[in-house]
Amino acid sequence: MFKHLAGLVVVVLAMSFFVFCLQSILPADPARAVAGPTAPVATVEAVRERLGLDQPVIVQYGRFLLRLAKGDLGTSFRTRQPVTADIGKHLPATLELMSVAVFLGVVPAVALALLQASFPRPGLARVALIGLGSMPIFLTALLLVYLFWFKLAWLPGSGRLGLTDFSGPTGFNLLDGFLTGRPGVSVDAFAHILLPSIALALPIAVAIGRTMSSALHEVMQQAYIRTARGKGIGEARLVFAHGLRNAATAPLAMVGLQVRLLFGNLLIVERIFGWPGLGNYMVQSLASSDLPAVLGVSMVFGVLYIIVNIAVELCQSLADPRIDL
Amino acid sequence: MSVRAPVEDVAMREPVLTIEGLSVVLHRDGHANTVLDNIGFDVAPGEIIAIVGESGSGKSTLGLAVQGLLPREHRPWIRGSIRLDGTEIVGAPAHSLQAARRSLVRAISQDPMGALNPTMTIRNQLRESADNTDDVMFDWLRRTGLADPERIAASFPHRLSGGQRQRVLIAMAMMARPKVLIADEPTTALDASIQAQILALLQDFAREQDTAIVFITHDLGIAAAFADRLIVLHSGRLVEIGATGDVIEKPGHPYTAGLLAARFDLTTDRHRPLPTLPAARRPIGGMSQGCNYASRCPIATEDCKVRVPPLQPQHAHSGAVACFRAAQMPPPDRHLATPWPVRSTIRNDIALQLSQVRKRYPVGPRGLRAARYRDVLTSVDLSVDHGECVALLGESGAGKSTLLRIAAGLLAPDIGAVFRSDNTPQVIFQDAVSSLTPWLTIGEQVGERLRRSDICARQHARRIDETLELVELDAALKNALPAELSVGQCQRAVIARAVAVPPKLLLCDEPISAMDVSLAAAILNLFGRLRRRLDMAMLFVTHEQAAARIVADRIAVLKDGVIVMDNDPDHLIVAVPAPLAAPRQSQAQGGVR
Repeated sequence: MFKHLAGLVVVVLAMSFFVFCLQSILPADPARAVAGPTAPVATVEAVRERLGLDQPVIVQYGRFLLRLAKGDLGTSFRTRQPVTADIGKHLPATLELMSVAVFLGVVPAVALALLQASFPRPGLARVALIGLGSMPIFLTALLLVYLFWFKLAWLPGSGRLGLTDFSGPTGFNLLDGFLTGRPGVSVDAFAHILLPSIALALPIAVAIGRTMSSALHEVMQQAYIRTARGKGIGEARLVFAHGLRNAATAPLAMVGLQVRLLFGNLLIVERIFGWPGLGNYMVQSLASSDLPAVLGVSMVFGVLYIIVNIAVELCQSLADPRIDL
Repeated sequence: MSVRAPVEDVAMREPVLTIEGLSVVLHRDGHANTVLDNIGFDVAPGEIIAIVGESGSGKSTLGLAVQGLLPREHRPWIRGSIRLDGTEIVGAPAHSLQAARRSLVRAISQDPMGALNPTMTIRNQLRESADNTDDVMFDWLRRTGLADPERIAASFPHRLSGGQRQRVLIAMAMMARPKVLIADEPTTALDASIQAQILALLQDFAREQDTAIVFITHDLGIAAAFADRLIVLHSGRLVEIGATGDVIEKPGHPYTAGLLAARFDLTTDRHRPLPTLPAARRPIGGMSQGCNYASRCPIATEDCKVRVPPLQPQHAHSGAVACFRAAQMPPPDRHLATPWPVRSTIRNDIALQLSQVRKRYPVGPRGLRAARYRDVLTSVDLSVDHGECVALLGESGAGKSTLLRIAAGLLAPDIGAVFRSDNTPQVIFQDAVSSLTPWLTIGEQVGERLRRSDICARQHARRIDETLELVELDAALKNALPAELSVGQCQRAVIARAVAVPPKLLLCDEPISAMDVSLAAAILNLFGRLRRRLDMAMLFVTHEQAAARIVADRIAVLKDGVIVMDNDPDHLIVAVPAPLAAPRQSQAQGGVR
């Protein structure tokens, strides 16, 4: 556990340093971006001085770290809001989308793998999984929008809610609808979240499904499964009571890896579906060389990644008593 | 030699297991393989019947067939009849097979380490076996000799030793009070001292519970000490059946006689090569049309090659033998092999020397706290001279493998010095099949170490042929992949790879412990011949005293992290400390605790 916390610090330091270095190499000029394209050179220089961008990179980095220790990620050049406030505004939407995506990815994949282990029928499921898995995510996202919104008009194609003035205690609209006694909001939120989360869930489902399937297949050949079968245990109980827990380690590790890929995919999917989350915010910040915002979101993603992986290792040690934390 | 008086009125009682005309075909790699061919026998309640045969004889498949557990992935095809206490197993629907496994037949397997679910407590696994209260469960554990059943029941399997796990598995099987217990090599993976205890335990249970035991083994010696009756299988056919004493004293089939002759123990002459059986040929496709043993049999006639000999009563004993020439069996072959040459020059230069070597491993949970350590090797002094073979004897967990890895330079000692005259010693491991790269041909793997020496391609090929000849491997196998070879051939290939460029020092880690007796004898002979011919120093790690005595010039016993004895084999075996020596002897006397 200490290992992970140390990892957290290292990730934050390394990532911020990397982004700082990148900024000094890139031709984009944040001061020009803040001052506006038509502002005179003197104004741009004044802005540069005000933001501290005229200092050497290493000094800027030191200042950043000092502010970070106080929980201050600086002010966004683009929105002129504190980055922490911006993140606070966009984070719930992203977390909601990620949770639903991971759920939609993991549950059907595990169910399919278990089904496959109980009734071994090779072929079809695998072909379908590979077919879906080989499609790039922007293509699946666009296909989903085209089919279910544009052609069939079954589901909304963008945004998070039909309403504009709703805000609940947790920021998770799916929950808040019920918490505030307006289940209609939850239903609406569900309709909105379905398409983007399916787009995000597909690659996760393919990865988890294949790892789970092969792990289960291997486990079901083990001697202890034969022992259990020799006790006259039914096939379903064999898979659930004896197979599942032994096969859990590899798919759990895969969940950890998939979450990292999910961050990248978030940028694409949130953009396509106009989802007001961190991914969308990140894309806009990148386009306007908004260094504090880019750094802040990177930090959040890094921390999330570490938290997810700590959770993964916890689950692994719960599943397999031979794994110590 | 049989210990137990045969169960009285065996013939009177209704058999609990009846097998008739059983044939099993399994599909491997797209080929149909007849694994069992027309097997038939009865087992009475409480009887212990041993099924003896080399690996590949189909004995494990027989055990699985009785449980209705033939591996689905090999698309089994089964004909004949298996009746368990009146219930037909062949062709029965899944639910009645499941019911039979629940109440009629249970099994304990070869590998106690892998046979328990690592993510489930012993208590939960026992509870699946039979509906019992905790007290009954603890009582069963206690009866198998586990002193603290509460702790055992609460543990996960990885906290238990191999012997403890096998006891748990026996309790698990016996608490269901089955009519038949299939014991597939239940002691092969265990130390000698525990072997005898486990066998005695099984005998007690058979008597108390009136449970018939089908005991599957490759070791005629254990079978002789343990079983009431013997069945000898060769390549899927039953070749001899009879009361244990009869079969051992007066074997009717040349294969049984050969198996008996190939056995080696602590009294075998160690100054000459061991008697061996001709190597088994893998049957290609199905069964041969004649006697399966004809190609290996010293007394086979033309008739043997065209007709399958039926199983019939014969004059030697009251059992039955499937051999046309059973009556014409020559007296046991007393022709002995030429003794090994005596080492003429004894050079006292050292090939390997370990002085005061110490190695310890951290134990307990990992964490930030300072780890606790356990000494595996406390202070080991050992030397091997050129041309000498030293056997390192010890029980499992004694640190034998650690010592070997240090000697090979694969592991650094914490304290102490290691001297090697050859910095590229070759190591031969127990599992020959997995120490060969699956996608390289045997020739490529044997030739790998030759590549460094700058010789031309033709010489290279010739050296490979010579090396294969040296280890008695068919030159045609040069182009074969490891998967096409038998276990014995794989071990020969591994040895060929090690001696292609003759090393000064050869290190062997239990190279024969996974093998049949007849195959082990052949491999021991090969080691004996190679080391004398190539003048190699050898360190031979084993837990088997008989093998150590035969292969080595000197035996070192490793116990509690130090070498407790280091002496000439014949002196040592007499003087070996009780826990090592006792079980073998008690086994020979009847396997009573």
